[in-house]
Amino acid sequence: MSEPQTTIPAYVPSGPSGPRASFGRRLVALLIDGILVAIVYGILYAIIGETASSLVLVAVWFAYFTFFEGSPSGQTIGKRALGIRVIDFRAGGPIGFARGLGRTAARILSGLLCYLGYFWMLWDGERQTWHDKLATTVVVPVAYYPVDKWPG
Amino acid sequence: MRTTELEVRDLRVAGAAMLGAAAVLPLLPGAPGLVCPLRALTGVPCPLCGMTTSVESILQLRLGEAFAANPAGVAAVLVAVLLLVLRASALRVPSVALPLGLAGMWAFELHRFGLF
Repeated sequence: MSEPQTTIPAYVPSGPSGPRASFGRRLVALLIDGILVAIVYGILYAIIGETASSLVLVAVWFAYFTFFEGSPSGQTIGKRALGIRVIDFRAGGPIGFARGLGRTAARILSGLLCYLGYFWMLWDGERQTWHDKLATTVVVPVAYYPVDKWPG
Repeated sequence: MRTTELEVRDLRVAGAAMLGAAAVLPLLPGAPGLVCPLRALTGVPCPLCGMTTSVESILQLRLGEAFAANPAGVAAVLVAVLLLVLRASALRVPSVALPLGLAGMWAFELHRFGLF
């Protein structure tokens, strides 16, 4: 009996040193994650009020991205839905929770100049945002970098 | 001259998202704009400040307001429309174009806010 074949699309090098997640996928994944965190914020706002919920929102934002992107899969819920993941730029594996935390903190810098750090991937040779560069990470399609178990 | 190859498909998606957001944002209650964290925290504008106003103004055919807010918005709309219409497969630009463009945009915004 023959084994089922997994078809991996051929990668044609054309700039970055490997396959990268597209801007569109990353944008939609971020929107999904943003909506999920906003729902949590809305619930907290109704329960504990504006000031306390804003503080908790920052904690939830950090915890959410640090846990999921630092996990072995490197996938938030949005990234899982879009079939992309965060990996180490050099070794290609998971980045761990400490770097996940650093990457989440670096998102503040990416957003500081009208979100220029997010748009940076549009012209960057390795398709990295500023927080990718600071955390030495890349976001890749799972078609080329499969996930064993989510969140791992 | 060193050049940088741009991912045309990504630029096309970004351009379409930009045009879509500029068309939809003014219709939302309260017409929420995108807040620039740097300007909110320090009062100093960044190179991309005024882009939301500029792109929205172009779609409403108010070219004067668009140029006054940030001339790069006019260029961004032009490039987005060309990418959507022409369906180019590859795009290379001089590597100095981006830093020079951002520097020019920042100088314009600093001048607009009376800081330069």
